[in-house]
Amino acid sequence: MRVAALPLLFLCAVGFAAPAQNCRQSAGGPGNAATVAAALGEFRALLSNAQRAALDKPLSYESAIHWSNLPIGVVPRTGLRLGDLDPKQTAAARKLFEAALSACGLKLLDEVRLADDWLAGYDKRPIGWNGGNYYVTVLGEPGAQSPWMLQLGGHHLAYNFTFNGHLPGATPLFFGSEPIRFEMKGVTYQPLDAQSSAMSKLATAIAARPGAKLSGTFTDVVKGVVMTPGKPGELPTGGTDTGFPQTYPTGSNDRGVLVSALDPAQRRLAREAMESFASFPGSAISAPLLAAYLDPKAFEATYVGFAGDPALGTKGSYIRVDGPRAWMELVVQPAIAHPEELHYHALWRDKQSDYGGEIRH
Amino acid sequence: MRGAGLAALLALLSAGAAAHPAPNSLLKLDFGTSGVRAEYWVPVSELAYARAADTRGGGFADYLLRHVAAESPGGVPWRVSVAGVREATYADHAYLVADLSLQPPAGASARAFVLLDDAVTHEVRNHVVYVLARRDAGSDLLGLLQYPTRRLEIAAP
Repeated sequence: MRVAALPLLFLCAVGFAAPAQNCRQSAGGPGNAATVAAALGEFRALLSNAQRAALDKPLSYESAIHWSNLPIGVVPRTGLRLGDLDPKQTAAARKLFEAALSACGLKLLDEVRLADDWLAGYDKRPIGWNGGNYYVTVLGEPGAQSPWMLQLGGHHLAYNFTFNGHLPGATPLFFGSEPIRFEMKGVTYQPLDAQSSAMSKLATAIAARPGAKLSGTFTDVVKGVVMTPGKPGELPTGGTDTGFPQTYPTGSNDRGVLVSALDPAQRRLAREAMESFASFPGSAISAPLLAAYLDPKAFEATYVGFAGDPALGTKGSYIRVDGPRAWMELVVQPAIAHPEELHYHALWRDKQSDYGGEIRH
Repeated sequence: MRGAGLAALLALLSAGAAAHPAPNSLLKLDFGTSGVRAEYWVPVSELAYARAADTRGGGFADYLLRHVAAESPGGVPWRVSVAGVREATYADHAYLVADLSLQPPAGASARAFVLLDDAVTHEVRNHVVYVLARRDAGSDLLGLLQYPTRRLEIAAP
């Protein structure tokens, strides 16, 4: 049943909505290196040698940037496939994710995978829409001292958490949803409900302010992965974070409106939008980043801007938070399975601490 | 076996584009002794947004000549012309493909120049132009252009 374009009223009539979360609190896993490494150790103990070989990668540029917003049929992943784990391994993996992720981060993982399961019925080509096609990878030596990374993701999710880095590393963090709303087994899901709602409230509140509207057209996030076009007979390449390190806008032109110019209610919406994006990792990862973003001097120097429909009701609608460090963007695209419907892509980057500041090209 | 491999490759190509609703552009450069030939692949879907923003008229060639230029490292303009335009389909996306000629001023090297190009990127903020140098086997990535960057120093590999 296709429900993504149906009115919410109808959805409420046919099924229960998944529990709503405002995703501003950091309930859930602690996200500190020692706890996550311990959970990882228990998971690893249940793996075969071949599975450990798939799980472990060096902490290198090539390994770190190997995430994508494309399905695995387009950009194959190289880690340990969650869909291949046995029940005991799946339970141990769950404990690992619970250690690393907040309640909102865990909910996003579950619901994005469910969305891929929903899409699987339409994957005729196939390109790998499947909730089992999500992977976990460990880069470097897990522990409480040296830098290492935990990567978890697939088609519409890329968690890249760096532990013991120069800087707290929650990013790059890509998340998306197709469809944006769907029903499975009588429950209605909206994986990006908290983030899209928070961004939309912010854009709606600032829409009339001079300078808030960004120029140009947006057909995807601006600082995401890119797919190199090719020619017939040549494989497309890329689709990973080959653009890292990114460059970002400077000056004040066409970046939106400064938080310092907003009234108190609009500032609160800006803060809540940032909190919603930063809510996915455990608090040990997200708390210092949020503190840096919401430090009064940094917060006031943060731009917020939008294009298209502030309510995110049409393709090409786009909302961005662009701070001294924070880069948070959300765009509405046409859906792939049903192009008349909509599809979200969202990205959180940190201009200083992507990959914990540990990765150099 | 060879046919099966080709079918699999084409299936992957098709899947790749269909899973990516915002295709990018490709500018492939072929360095000659007296000038540079270029093949510019521009996705029709993204070009439509750019043409809606640049309403000065003319065809695709006219549009490109308004947005693509080249000059010597010292700032002397090159002569840019469009030899032909054709339609192509690549992995479910429609493209316009232009064959360009970039000619340096008399006496200047054809091996180094500055590309000035904001085709599509002047409007589509996430759009990327991949600039490649054609080689006998494969190609070298020379750089990327994305708004607001429209200038790329080019040196033949």
